[in-house]
Amino acid sequence: MSAVLAPARPRVAAPPRPRRLAVRTAQLVTGAVVLAALWHVHLDWTGLRELPGDVVHYLRLMFAHPDWSKLPYALQQTWVSVQMAWLGALLGVVVSTVLGIPAAQGVGPLWLRLPLRAVFAVIRAVPEVIIAIVILTVTGLTPFTGALALAIGGIGTHAKWTYETIEAVPGGTAEAVRAAGGTLLETARWGLWPEAAPELLSLALYRFELNVRTSAILGLIGVGGVGDLLTGYTQYRQWDAVGVLIVVVVVVTMAIDAVSGALRRRITKGARARVVDGTE
Amino acid sequence: MSVLAAPPRPRTWPRTVAVLVVLALITAATVTPAIGGIRIDLGTIARHWHFGWTKVQQMFDPDLSILPRTWKPLLETLEIAVVGAAASALLALPLSLWAARPTNPTWGRSAVRAVLNAVRAVPDLVYATVLVAMVGVGALPGVLTLVLFDLGVVVKLVSEAIDSADARYLEAGLAAGGTQAQANRMMAVPQTWPAYASQVLYSLELNVRISSVLGLVGAGGIGRLIDEVRGFYRYGALGVIIVEILVVVVLIEVASNVLRKRLR
Repeated sequence: MSAVLAPARPRVAAPPRPRRLAVRTAQLVTGAVVLAALWHVHLDWTGLRELPGDVVHYLRLMFAHPDWSKLPYALQQTWVSVQMAWLGALLGVVVSTVLGIPAAQGVGPLWLRLPLRAVFAVIRAVPEVIIAIVILTVTGLTPFTGALALAIGGIGTHAKWTYETIEAVPGGTAEAVRAAGGTLLETARWGLWPEAAPELLSLALYRFELNVRTSAILGLIGVGGVGDLLTGYTQYRQWDAVGVLIVVVVVVTMAIDAVSGALRRRITKGARARVVDGTE
Repeated sequence: MSVLAAPPRPRTWPRTVAVLVVLALITAATVTPAIGGIRIDLGTIARHWHFGWTKVQQMFDPDLSILPRTWKPLLETLEIAVVGAAASALLALPLSLWAARPTNPTWGRSAVRAVLNAVRAVPDLVYATVLVAMVGVGALPGVLTLVLFDLGVVVKLVSEAIDSADARYLEAGLAAGGTQAQANRMMAVPQTWPAYASQVLYSLELNVRISSVLGLVGAGGIGRLIDEVRGFYRYGALGVIIVEILVVVVLIEVASNVLRKRLR
């Protein structure tokens, strides 16, 4: 008597698609801005069409028969650039630390923090090349000018990183030192420094890495180093020498990045950290 | 009445001293002119500091007559930045998927990474100098410079984000019978989207800063005007231009921070 009831097929209704009006609008606006910029910027389209051929042509000029006789001079000038970068990083980091610590919340008073942060923001907006242009009126076209420009230009970002690092230090240790009767100095030495030091040291090395790149740019205005040579040889279309210089810049930069990166990993992660699967 | 003995202090001072000695030696090598180091000339600073100070003072004495001439180059700077960021964003997504292990377990990963490491090692203005010599003065070398620079940054960071992301979704897609390409499209791309979009916005911020100096080597934008007013020693005008760049950079930074917060 039992009638077999055909089980009703369970129908799972897909949940309604979320209304994505805001996302669509944002996409449309972004697309419109990009298209408007592309249309208005007057790109040289024929140049773009010939670009692949040009690139092959110039790459062959640069790297088919590089003028290796320029190598010793290139290496010597690269050493000047690296010196600029090192000295600039050292000076910049020292000044940024001195100025950046009072700019951290909880360290300096508000009337000191705000102007310091404003100064950092202004320096961040001024390109290093322009800072170098001002400094060269004082110290002339010397690598010393380059180092000073890197130092001052670096303050903008590095002081910002410094106060952000100090603000990010968890307050527990410092509180414990204070509760145990530590003075302000002891609190800073035993509560803040051990927590902030690895990050600050790692950032200082990173500043050096960045400066190695920027020091090549400063050659544009003639303060010396490998950037000077690059600008000169490019302007005189000596492509075989430009090729050598680019090889030197790439190799030296990558070598410094590798060493500095390994040191930074050692500083922040400790001796036991291992690189897994080539990911940095 | 148990007495707790403090554990012995770890002996860290020999290492600290060694590190400091190495740092001091490198620094000494860089500042000793006899072995090719930089000559630090504090005397010139003492004698000539007022030259630099005068320039800074002149910059703070704005020459507003330059203002009408800045709008077009400033707009061009922004356009170069936007086009560069957009073009590199289009190229960066497939390259990031190619360079990350979960989305490309088979081949070519380290090749892509090696090439991009080399690309990242060349500074932006060096690209611009060489490209201006290659394709001529104008916005095109500027855009190309930014594309190369952005690709280096975005692909590195996004592929690392994919590497460290939770691979479960991708595995589910593969287990359900999807090909690697299908799983990448349906699982990896939506999962990576916030990191990718955030990096693209960040590259746009960097682009605005970079493209404002690209004109110094003839690659378009307001840098050309900077070069001109500097050539005529119009430091008041230079100050105005710097303030304009500052305003634009801060506006872009604020906008991109707001957008990035919404992405999370």
